[in-house]
This record gives sequence, C-alpha cells and structure tokens, in this order.
Amino acid sequence: MMDRIAALGRLGFNVVATVGRAGYFLGGALAGVPKPAVGFPLLVRQLYSVGVLSLAIVVVSGLFIGMVLGLQGYTILSDYGSEAAVGQMIALTLVRELGPVVTALLFAGRAGSALTAEIGLMKATEQLSSMEMMGVDPLRRVIAPRLWAGFIAMPILAVIFSVVGIWGGMLVSVDWLGVFEGAFWGNMQSSVSFVDDVLNGVVKTVVFGFVCTWIAVFQGYDCVPTSAGISSATTKTVVYSSLAVLGLDFVLTAVMFGDF
Amino acid sequence: MAQRTTEIITGLFMIAGLAAVLVLALQVSGLSPKSAGDTYTLYANFNDVGGIAPRGKVAMAGVKVGSVRSVTLDKETFQARVELAIDADVDNIPADSSAVIRTSGILGDQYIDISIGGDMESLSPGDSFYSTQSAMNLERLITNFASGK
Amino acid sequence: MASEAYITLTDVVFSRSGRRIFDGVTLDIPRGKITAIMGPSGTGKTTLLRLIGGQLKPDSGTIMVAGENVPRLRRKALYTLREKMGMLFQSGALFTDLSAFENVAFPLRVHTSLPEDMIRDIVLMKLEAVGLRGARDLMPSELSGGMTRRVALARSIALDPELIMYDEPFAGQDPIAMGVLVKLIRDLNSSMGLTSVLVSHDVPESLSICHYACIIADGHIIGEGTPAELRQHPSERVQQFLQGQPDGPVPFNYPAPDAGSDWGLTGGAR
Repeated sequence: MMDRIAALGRLGFNVVATVGRAGYFLGGALAGVPKPAVGFPLLVRQLYSVGVLSLAIVVVSGLFIGMVLGLQGYTILSDYGSEAAVGQMIALTLVRELGPVVTALLFAGRAGSALTAEIGLMKATEQLSSMEMMGVDPLRRVIAPRLWAGFIAMPILAVIFSVVGIWGGMLVSVDWLGVFEGAFWGNMQSSVSFVDDVLNGVVKTVVFGFVCTWIAVFQGYDCVPTSAGISSATTKTVVYSSLAVLGLDFVLTAVMFGDF
Repeated sequence: MAQRTTEIITGLFMIAGLAAVLVLALQVSGLSPKSAGDTYTLYANFNDVGGIAPRGKVAMAGVKVGSVRSVTLDKETFQARVELAIDADVDNIPADSSAVIRTSGILGDQYIDISIGGDMESLSPGDSFYSTQSAMNLERLITNFASGK
Repeated sequence: MASEAYITLTDVVFSRSGRRIFDGVTLDIPRGKITAIMGPSGTGKTTLLRLIGGQLKPDSGTIMVAGENVPRLRRKALYTLREKMGMLFQSGALFTDLSAFENVAFPLRVHTSLPEDMIRDIVLMKLEAVGLRGARDLMPSELSGGMTRRVALARSIALDPELIMYDEPFAGQDPIAMGVLVKLIRDLNSSMGLTSVLVSHDVPESLSICHYACIIADGHIIGEGTPAELRQHPSERVQQFLQGQPDGPVPFNYPAPDAGSDWGLTGGAR
C-alpha cells in the first residue's frame, strides 16, 4: 500500500519535471532570434516538410468531410423543409469546429509523428550532440525552425481544409441534391461572421498548431535514444496531441462561443 | 536547385492559405469591402422580441437592408430595445414606418421587417420606430384561442 | 610529464541516476600529445568526454580546458570554446540529410562567413586529408562505417581545432579501416599539433599510438603513465585489463546469490 502511494508520488514528480523540461526547452528554442540569412532557408525547408507534405491528406479529408456534412445535413434539414440552411450548417461546423480540430488531429498524426521520429533519430545517432560539440545550439538550429514551421503551417492547413470542405458540401447539396445555389450561399453569408466565426476558428488553429508542434518536437528531443524509446515517443506525440487538441477545443469553444 | 523548388512550392502553399482566408471572408462570411462601417443606427422597442438575436436580418420588402446590433431590456418600460444597423444608402425610410418581427417560413429564422409608411419625412440616425409589432408567439396564440379570450 | 597540461581535471565527482560514475578523478592531459583513456565498457569513458565538452556538468570538482573552467562557463563562452574542440563520435554522427561535402562544410558555414569558393577549397583539403576527396557527393547512407568515421573526422577538423576527442574510434572496424584510422590519428596529431584525447577499449591500437595513457575503472583512475610504464605496472587489475584475462580482480561472474540456493540444492529452498 505504501509502495503504491510512493509510486504515485514519484509519478507526480516525474510529470511535473517533464512539464518543467518542456517549458525550459521551449524557452531555449524560441529565445534567440536567428540571423535571417541562416534561419530563412531552414524555415522554408521545414514549412515544406511540415506544411506542403501534409496538404494532400488535409485536402482529401476536407473534401470528404464536407461531402458527408452535405449529405447528412440535407437528410436531416429536408425533414423540416429547410434544406436551404445546409450551407449555413456546413460552413459553421467547418469553420468553427471541424476545420481546426480535424486538421489538428491529422497534423498530429502526419507531421507531428514525423517530427518526433526525425528528432528522436537525430538524438539516437548523436547528431544533436555532435552539433552541440561543434558550437551550434541544436535547440536553435534544429528545433526552432520546426516549431515556427508548425505554428505557421497549421492555420494555413486548417483554412484550406475549411474551404475545400465547404466546396465539397456545395458539390453534394447543390450539384447532386438540388439545393438552390443562391439560398445555399445566401444563408451561409448571413449567418457566418468573419470576426466571430472565421477569425475565432483561426485563433483555435494557431493554439492547436502551437501545442501539437511543441509536443512533437519535445517528445523527440526528450526521448530515450533507442528504437523502443523513439517508437514510444512517437506514440506519445499522437496520443498527447490528440488529447490536448480535444481538451483545448472545449475550453476555447466555451470561451469564444459560450455566451450565446 | 532543390532548395529553389522547395521555396517555390512553399510559397505557393502560403499563397493558397491566403487565398483560402479570402474565400472564407468574401464568399463564406459575405464580408464585402464596401459595406464595412457604412451604416447608421435606428432603435425599435418591442414587447416581445421572440428569437431576434444580434446579427439577425433586417429587411424591407424582403430585401436585406441591415442587421440587428444588440438586444437589451429597457428597465423603465420593460420592453426590449433593439439596436438596428441600417445600410447607409437606405436613408429615406419614412418616419411613420413600423418594425415588424416576422418569420421566414413556418419554422425559419425570425427577422425584422420594416413596413413602409407614407410620411414625407424620413427617419434620421438615432431615431426610434414609432410603431412596432412584436413576434407572433404561436404558443400564446393557441393558449388564447383555447381559453376562449 | 614533459609538456604543460591542456586539460586538467581535479577531483571530479559525477553521478547519474543515483549511480556514482566518477568518484574524485584527477587527471592532466598534456598539450600536443595523444592521450588514451582506457577502461572496461560502462565505466563512463564517453561521459568523461562529455564533461570535457561541457555537455554534462560534474557534481563537484573543476575541469580546466585551455585555461577556462568548463562547468562555470556561460552559454556563449562555452559555445565559443567548443569551436576550438572537435569531437569524433562513435557513430560518426553525420547529418543524414546532407552530403559528405556539406557535412564537412557545415561548421565552416555556421561559424565563418567565408566566400563559397574558399569553403569549397577548405572542404576538399580536409576530405583529401582523410583520403575521401572523391566521395564528396555521397550521402551518409552510401558510406561504409569506416568512411563515415573518416568524413566525420574531416568535419571535426574543419575549423582547425586545438583539441580533438575521439570516442571509441576503433570499435566495430575491420582491420584495414582500423589501420587507416590509427594512421590518420597519428598524422593529424603530428602535422597539426593537435591535443588528442582518445577513448577506447582496444588496448593494442591505443597503446601503439598514444604518448600517454590512463585506465579508469569503478570511478577511479587505476593506472596512468606512458605505454611502457603501464606495461610494467604493478597493479593486478591493470595487467588483467591490458592482457584481457577473463578472470582476476575484476571477477568473471556478476555478483549473484550463492549458487546453491538458486538451483535449490541447499535445504529450505522448497
């Protein structure tokens, strides 16, 4: 019994220590402003591997989710004779919730796990240590560009997701199911507010992008440098990012849309 | 050369993101560059606003001419005071017009319709509508009918 | 010792996850010579190099490198000092996304603002020194183990350091690759006047090239001196290590309970 309590206490301390390391790590990575001539090409390369390479999965998922929303929305709304409201439903769902959340989950699975594995492997093969011994801080050289790339890529991906989703929804409801196109867009435009819906959605994605990338690079940097350690760190990245995104989504939704 | 290709593709990616934001702004949320801020304020007092909420539609003859900015309770008259933002180019609403709460379809959204009066004078910014007609409350209607009043 | 010390460790104590790895190590590493640090696996030889490089901090004691106390240095001063150090990691630690040429060019690009044609000349010179000028365009995955280490060696001497540390340079190498590395280490030391620290458990190779050697076991230095002095060392443990005898003061058996009780031969076990 005492052993159990002691183990619980140790676990608590470990968690707090990990959070502390993660904070220290973030500070170290974001502290120095790099020389633009050095930092910019590094950032571009990371934006490419984190953002551009995730684009395909985001576009395909967005298209299908939009189409499903169109189908489901039409079926339910046509019972009340208000199938014209399907545009409003698709747009609000995507812009406020599904765009940020699904993109973040896809991002954690596609880009986050890749980041963790890459950095973990760099640690295991002593590339990070050797960089340090060459007088180059790996936090600034390796980690910082990846963090920034994640912050920047995630909102872009989410916005593209929403647009593709709305287009997919239009495809299904207007072109296939025959909802009047004017009503589709008109209802959407009268109910979606740029500041309250679109910008709040973008704020969400910025937060999610920050959290997902932070978790991913930290798990890679903090992993046990063996093959088992890297695989467990990759799993942790996906699990922790997904949980953090869903939990934060509730908090952010309550703050942004909760009062009406 | 590989770096150059990467840069171009990444640039396209960023431009696609910007374009997507533009689509969301213009096409989805109907934000049009001209109408921003070009409104003036009118007030209308209702006994019952029903489902009217901020950002709701204000229409004349079925055409959208503005939106609801806020709904508050007037603590002296116990009426709902609705602040309306009317497009600036609709500046000739006759002074004896009335604001009516209507429903689009039987279960659709409620909106405020402005019924045109015949006065030569028009409402100026900050004015209140002289006469209003509250939301038709289906439940109350049935109750009244059933109790025979 | 003839020459002055480049690195001085005084009473260094270091422990990790509750285990004491160094318990008061005092050591002088002379300038311009090759010093071999030997010892059984798991005695923290690599840890010693990381302490010298400032990647780890000791619990107590001082580590002076080129007149600077490494554990006390601020971040910036430490990174400046590291530009004078080169380290060859056991795995080579080449950046896998860069070609051999770019790997060697990396420290030059980061720390200097030399024009591109000059960087090219220096890189080719360094690659020539390890005999791999022709392999400049290969990616690390296309290099053999020995070649990887030679490219890594070229990279660690790219900035003409004063000190170079070799972490197990001979481990897992075929005899030819080993011979090449021995020759390279010796040549670099004599031609560039480098201070070299070599961590290894390959006794014959290490003793054949070093000017000075010390043996670490159980957190202490159990023997030090020139190779000739070590071969005559009176300590049984030193002799056991140098000659590779399976049993001796370092026992063959890992500490275990009495054999009889494990196999249930003595009474009371059932």
